[in-house]
Amino acid sequence: MTLLTERAPRERGASPRPPLARHPLRAEAVRGFAPWAGAAMLLVLVAALAAGSERWQGGWAETRDQVHAAAILLGVPLALAAGCWQGGRERRRGTEEMLAAAVRGRTAVFLASALPVALWLVAGYAVATALALLATWYCATGDRPHFGTPLADALVLASAALAGQVVGRLVAWRLAAPLLAAAGYVVLAVAGYGNHGSVRHLAPFTVVPSASAPVWWQPPTTAVWTGGLAAAAVLAYTARRRALALLPLVAATAAGALLVQTGDGLWPTAPLARRQVCDTSTTPQICVNARYQGLLPQVTDALSGLIDRLEGVENLPVRFEDRPGRPGPDEVELPMITPIGWTVVRGRLTDPEEYAWAAGVTLQGRAECEELAPRVARTDEAVRHYLAPSPLQRHFDEDDARRARSSAAARAELEAKLAARERLASMGDEERRAWLSSYFATRDACGAEGVPAL
Amino acid sequence: MTRGPLLYARSRTLPRTVLVLGATTVLAVLGARNLNAYLDPSRQVPVVALAPLFAAAVIGTSLHSASDELDRTAVRPWWRRRLVHLTALTGCAAVLLAATVYGHPSPFGPAAMVRNTLGCAGLGAGAAALLGARLSWLPVFGYVSAVYVGSANARDRLVPVWAWPVQPAGQHTAWVTAAVLLAAGAALYVVRGARPEGRHA
Repeated sequence: MTLLTERAPRERGASPRPPLARHPLRAEAVRGFAPWAGAAMLLVLVAALAAGSERWQGGWAETRDQVHAAAILLGVPLALAAGCWQGGRERRRGTEEMLAAAVRGRTAVFLASALPVALWLVAGYAVATALALLATWYCATGDRPHFGTPLADALVLASAALAGQVVGRLVAWRLAAPLLAAAGYVVLAVAGYGNHGSVRHLAPFTVVPSASAPVWWQPPTTAVWTGGLAAAAVLAYTARRRALALLPLVAATAAGALLVQTGDGLWPTAPLARRQVCDTSTTPQICVNARYQGLLPQVTDALSGLIDRLEGVENLPVRFEDRPGRPGPDEVELPMITPIGWTVVRGRLTDPEEYAWAAGVTLQGRAECEELAPRVARTDEAVRHYLAPSPLQRHFDEDDARRARSSAAARAELEAKLAARERLASMGDEERRAWLSSYFATRDACGAEGVPAL
Repeated sequence: MTRGPLLYARSRTLPRTVLVLGATTVLAVLGARNLNAYLDPSRQVPVVALAPLFAAAVIGTSLHSASDELDRTAVRPWWRRRLVHLTALTGCAAVLLAATVYGHPSPFGPAAMVRNTLGCAGLGAGAAALLGARLSWLPVFGYVSAVYVGSANARDRLVPVWAWPVQPAGQHTAWVTAAVLLAAGAALYVVRGARPEGRHA
């Protein structure tokens, strides 16, 4: 028999130091539900981001917005539910009374259970964000990574986990966690996509144009707003002096008031989005928004054929511009680069020929005309065909030929169209330059007057 | 003898589960009415995706047994009760939720709601067998919400396979995926039962 007070015989050569005591929080952090919650957050965010990667990969602002949307619309409900589930753990285990008798205060006991879940959720989010930033980094075309919003989102997720834990402690219902998640989806979607004036900026997610960037104090203020509410809930539930909850509540109210008061000023157009980089060696000059300056060589290359055919032609616009708002008097808008995922995917123009055709259309400037005389429409079509034919032109021509077989009017129209193309193509270089110069003198005009005939 | 099914229903809190499914239906009706789906049928997608998701969470958590170890010592086979339990609740949810979008013809109408309810219920039943009934909502929520956000404007050929909850009713591949999920999840649950959770969860 061995007395408990007896010392075990020390082994020869064994260290005299006692074994290293592990911190009690370690078991909470590495076992149980917390790591699974972090893994679930990682999987959900990675799946949602990967499924639509062509819409954000390559643009830093788009990456910020997409990660932000996924983190708030998916991550916050998940964090609320995970926190709620963890909050009901002591009830499920039947250890509530034992913990109530613990030496540590209620706040410390609460945080020992809640913080690991919050930290694992944030870790899952951080890994997903890092993967998204890496995915954009290798095909980025300008701009720089934005870190303010992701950092604030991490705090929003942690706050949601803590708030969910409070609900889980208070509500003894098996469905509390999924109900909280469902309520989170509905509230966030309604607040984010609805039109509620300046109040919508209290929601951690609102729809903003990708050319916008938050003012520097927006992310920390949002973090104070959501974190203050969560801290107030935690202190109101756990603190011995519940009045302490007023402190974070006051901070949250002040931050919320600031957000509402500033309204749309929280997301002004980014200074970089107002600038453009230009290739001035061409006529018209080709300018690309500074956020996508790396695309300029590709765009110039795609438009090189069109630019070559316009050599020596007069009355052309000065440049293709790519800034927010309408173009200036001597400018035309560059065919759309944004939203990413259509013309540009992962830093590459998807169809340079189609892009050049679109540039030809914008040069003619008659896109907003409600009605065009058949002669002008025919002339425009011949010019577009000469400058940069659409890759789909063959299909359009086949459709026209099919219609022409069954209708005399369609046949006459097709013959006139082909004849116009033929006349423009058969002109001598000087003659065509002169004709195109007089043609582009009438760009933007919707009437037939002055448009040279073919 | 006659009280057996009644006792089973009470032990699984089935009356309360049916009440919650009814409440889900009421909320879905309110949500569907405020979406002005006559302007654009795709506005119904949030209701058609989220209502079955929550219904599956309700059904999944109802599969929990408070006396799991005792149940497994029973002489009678459980699979029939499990099968009836799951099919009855799934059918009830499908009928109730389909009624919420009944009326105006739409690609996201009752048929899409039924398909999503079946698929989500299968996913929830499978999760109950693998993770435990009380946590069975987690994979369903994670999957459907990720698909809802991720599939917007996705143009992959396999989209109908993995994004079945947001496909129109006429998309046959989405029906196949939902049916496979229901069959697999139901088979897993009926054969194995919900994973024992004990008091350590």
